[in-house]
Amino acid sequence: MPAMKEAWVLHNRILSVRRGIAAIAAPAVILAGMLSGCAKAPPASDTADYQAYQQQNDPMEPTNRVFYSINDKLDRYAFKPIAKGYIKITTQGIRNHVGDFVTNIGEPGRLIYFAAGGKPRDAGTSLVRFVVNSTVGIGGIFDPATHLGYPETDTDFGMTLAEWGIPAGPYLYLPAFGPSGARDAFSIPVAFFLTPMEAAPASTAMTAFSYSETALHLVNTRAQFMNPIEQVQETALDPYATFRSLYRQSRASQLQLIDQRDTPTVPDWFPQPAAPVTQ
Amino acid sequence: MYFRRFVLGAMTALPMLSLAPLAQAQVSTDAAKAFITTSGQQLVAVVNADTSTSVKAQQLQTLVNQMVAVDNVGAYVLGRYKSVATPDQYTQFQALFHQLLANNITYQIKAFQGIGFTVNGASVVGNDTVVDTTITRPGQAPADVGWAVDEIGGTPKIVDVIVAGTSLRITTRNDYASVITSNGGQVSALLTVMQNKINQIKANQ
Repeated sequence: MPAMKEAWVLHNRILSVRRGIAAIAAPAVILAGMLSGCAKAPPASDTADYQAYQQQNDPMEPTNRVFYSINDKLDRYAFKPIAKGYIKITTQGIRNHVGDFVTNIGEPGRLIYFAAGGKPRDAGTSLVRFVVNSTVGIGGIFDPATHLGYPETDTDFGMTLAEWGIPAGPYLYLPAFGPSGARDAFSIPVAFFLTPMEAAPASTAMTAFSYSETALHLVNTRAQFMNPIEQVQETALDPYATFRSLYRQSRASQLQLIDQRDTPTVPDWFPQPAAPVTQ
Repeated sequence: MYFRRFVLGAMTALPMLSLAPLAQAQVSTDAAKAFITTSGQQLVAVVNADTSTSVKAQQLQTLVNQMVAVDNVGAYVLGRYKSVATPDQYTQFQALFHQLLANNITYQIKAFQGIGFTVNGASVVGNDTVVDTTITRPGQAPADVGWAVDEIGGTPKIVDVIVAGTSLRITTRNDYASVITSNGGQVSALLTVMQNKINQIKANQ
């Protein structure tokens, strides 16, 4: 019994440490970036360079590049070899199902993000997806909801903040997490808490499942990125700048998609609005 | 996960990496669809043919030059720095840009086997007509790719490739602009980096 008690205390400590790290990681990184390695802005008289500097909105570029370099090495010697091994022992079908499973676990979180961002229809879609895929889709391994007309719309706390009108802010490249921004970085600690595993009663099995799911998610996602990342690294003149551009465009597009899919719809059984009169 | 669709599609569309608009007229949706359908069939035929990589690369380069406004692309990618570049530098830039595009195509061919190409529809987006397609490859998730088409010199040409809302011409312009700004606004530095990249890709082939 004492051993069990010690294990339980240890388990709670681990959870506590994980929460603590997640909660302080993003703000700490932002602070670190602010305190060191700021890029020097070109003079406003140098129009072309000054416009480019403003458009990049990457005042912490020197620090970001250091983190990019660290992540790149970490990826090259750890994540990439693991992902390659994973690809060798799995098929695309398996990887798709793993992706569906991980996506399904994230749906309750998305429901909350959408609701908080004032997107009730997107929130409803997340709810339907979670219910359908968790049941008919056998725990999320399959994605029948998409075929029923409820495709996945990805979101996170950064998108909720964007819906509240908070601008993206300066670009950040975070250690381990990769491309982010002053606004989007807050989605990291929030995402940690908004998973079904956190809501479930604490147990050793749940902790093991949580760690396994996180690891599988990382490896599966890295495997999906395998060729595109190699291509950017091989063909881009400045891979850091290329990833930065892709990240920003991707986020803007994601926000647009969230708004598009939240369009009010009229049920078939309800009187339809009159078509606009053309003259 | 928000990056997933982009990256899966980007690798399929990268041969068209930097496609720029100096479009003078808009193409009708029907004409754009017909153009992309024909172009896609030609691309698929070349890629799936049982020929050597070098032959495929040569054929693809010819096709790309026919379908894509490559010179206009270069001008767009250089962006605001076009006015900073000397005439000689601009000529050199265009030559290197064509070469880089060719090298990128050759690099891509390794990942292009047994592809399928389906045209879904077309719509007018801003000044462009965007044709939505789905590209499939064995053992890979399908990728939705949009092709922006404009009329240039009286014929339709591809001016951009859009994957999950990310424009490859904008990405390339940002990539190149970063090199120039990191080197004190010198276009000559960009030319050097482009040449080094060409040498590096050749060395790795």
